[in-house]
Amino acid sequence: MVSSPIDISFLKTLPAGAAVGIVGVPPLAVMAILEKGAATIFDLDESLVKQDMEETILYLPRVYCAILRTVVINSLHLDLQAIIIDVGPGKCDCALHVATILADRLAIPVITTRNLDTTPFATPLCKTEMALPEKMARICTSIQTTGRHRPLPACQATAGFWGVPPRDFSLLALFPATTHVYGWSRCMENKTPADLALENHFNPHFPTVFFAQSFCAKTALAKHLASQHPRALFVDCDVTAGSSVRAKIQAFLELSGVYDASC
Amino acid sequence: MMLLADFGTTYAKFIDLAAAKPLPYLEPAKNISPELRVDMATGHNGKRFTDYYVNELIALARGGEQLISDEDFTLLDCGSRDIKFVRYEKGVLADMGWNAECGASMGFTIELLGRYYNLDYHQVPVPKKSFSVTCGVLGMSQIFDEISAGSGEEQAVASFVKSIAINAFRFAGEPARIHLSGGLCDNPLFVKSFPGEVIPMGRFVLLKGLAVMAKKLKGQP
Repeated sequence: MVSSPIDISFLKTLPAGAAVGIVGVPPLAVMAILEKGAATIFDLDESLVKQDMEETILYLPRVYCAILRTVVINSLHLDLQAIIIDVGPGKCDCALHVATILADRLAIPVITTRNLDTTPFATPLCKTEMALPEKMARICTSIQTTGRHRPLPACQATAGFWGVPPRDFSLLALFPATTHVYGWSRCMENKTPADLALENHFNPHFPTVFFAQSFCAKTALAKHLASQHPRALFVDCDVTAGSSVRAKIQAFLELSGVYDASC
Repeated sequence: MMLLADFGTTYAKFIDLAAAKPLPYLEPAKNISPELRVDMATGHNGKRFTDYYVNELIALARGGEQLISDEDFTLLDCGSRDIKFVRYEKGVLADMGWNAECGASMGFTIELLGRYYNLDYHQVPVPKKSFSVTCGVLGMSQIFDEISAGSGEEQAVASFVKSIAINAFRFAGEPARIHLSGGLCDNPLFVKSFPGEVIPMGRFVLLKGLAVMAKKLKGQP
C-alpha cells in the first residue's frame, strides 16, 4: 500500500524540539517552520548511525545510490518524529521512490517537498580558503537554517571540486584548501538546489574533479561536464572511496600541478 | 644501494640505481621476503615494503613522460590485477583512468587460462570472434559457454583474450596508436588483438617513473 502524501502544515503540529530528519534541501518555508519550532534537525543524507549498510537490502536493491541507502539506514535507526524528503529537480527521482518506501515502512509521517526556491543566498564557503572536508561539512550544515551566510574572503582557486557532498568525506582530504566548490554542493549553499544553470557552472581555468556517487543520475552530468572541461577528471564512487579512486584523484591533482600551485 | 621497486600482484620489478650499471629485473611476488625494505616503491603491494610510496598512476605517467618522445600519447598499463592509462596532449596530462574493479584480474586470468589449457600464446592466432566480458573473473563463464557450444578450448580462450584487449582499448579512449606497458606486453596474442597500432613498452615503465622521481629528489638531472 502506498501512503497518502502529508501536507507540510503537519509540521506546525509537532512539539517544540521535535526530532526531524531531512533529505536533500527542503524549501526555505519548511525550514522556517522547523526553525520556529526549534526542531532538532538530522540531515539523513549524512552517515549518522554506525549500522551495516547491508541492512538496506531489505528495502532497496543492493546496487543503489549510497546516499539514499544512508537515508534509509538513518531512518531505520534514529528516533525521529517526522521525515521531510525533498524530491523533484532539487534532488532526484530516486529520493521520491525512497520517500514512498519509507512512508510505507515507517510509523512516522514522511513528507515530500519540491524545492523550487530561486532566491540566491550567495556561496562564500564554496570560494573561501578552508580544508575541503570542513568546507563541505559547513555547506551541508548551512541548509539547516534560513539566515544569511556570514561573508568570507574568496581565495585564488588552484583546483575545483564539482559535485554532491560525497558519502565518504575522506576523499575530500586529498584536495588543497584553495579548492573552489561547484555543482550541486554550490546549489546547496546558495539554497537553490534546483538551479540547473548553477549546477552546470564550472571554471575551465583550473583542474577540476567532477564527482558523483555511483548509481546516481548525476554521473551522466558529471561525465558530460568533465568532457567539456580542458583539465578534468570524472570519478564516481559508492559507499567508500577505494584506493583506486583516491589514487586517481591524487595523481590527477599532482600531475596537473595543483599541489605545486597550492604550496 | 638505492633500491626502487614496483610490487605488482604476480611479479615485483626492481632496479638498484646505485649499481655500476643499473638494470631492472623481475622476481615472482611469491618469492619476496616480507622483511624486504626498499628506498622507493610503487605497485599494488608496495606500501608494505617502503616508507616512500608512489601512487601507481603517477609512476606510470612519469615513466611515460621519460620514455615517450611524442607530445601526444596514450600509455596503457595492463597488469595482472588492473589496467590504467594516462593520455597526454601537447605534453600535458589530458585524461587518465584506473580500473581496479571492473578491470579486475584480467592479466592474472589470462595467465591462469594459458597454464590450465597448456596454451602457447605465441602460437595462438588472433580469432575473428570476441565476446562481451565485464572483467576477467566474469569472463570465465563465457569461455565455458563457448566450449560447451562446440568451440575448441584454444579458440574460446583466444576470443576471451581478444575481448579483454578490446575492453582495455576502449577504456583508454580508443586511440589510433597506443603505448602498452605491463606484463601483458609479453603476450603476443593480447598485443595483436588490439584494433589499432600498439607500441609495447615492456614491464618496467613504472620503475622508470620511480627512477625519474628518485633522481629528482636527489637533485640529479
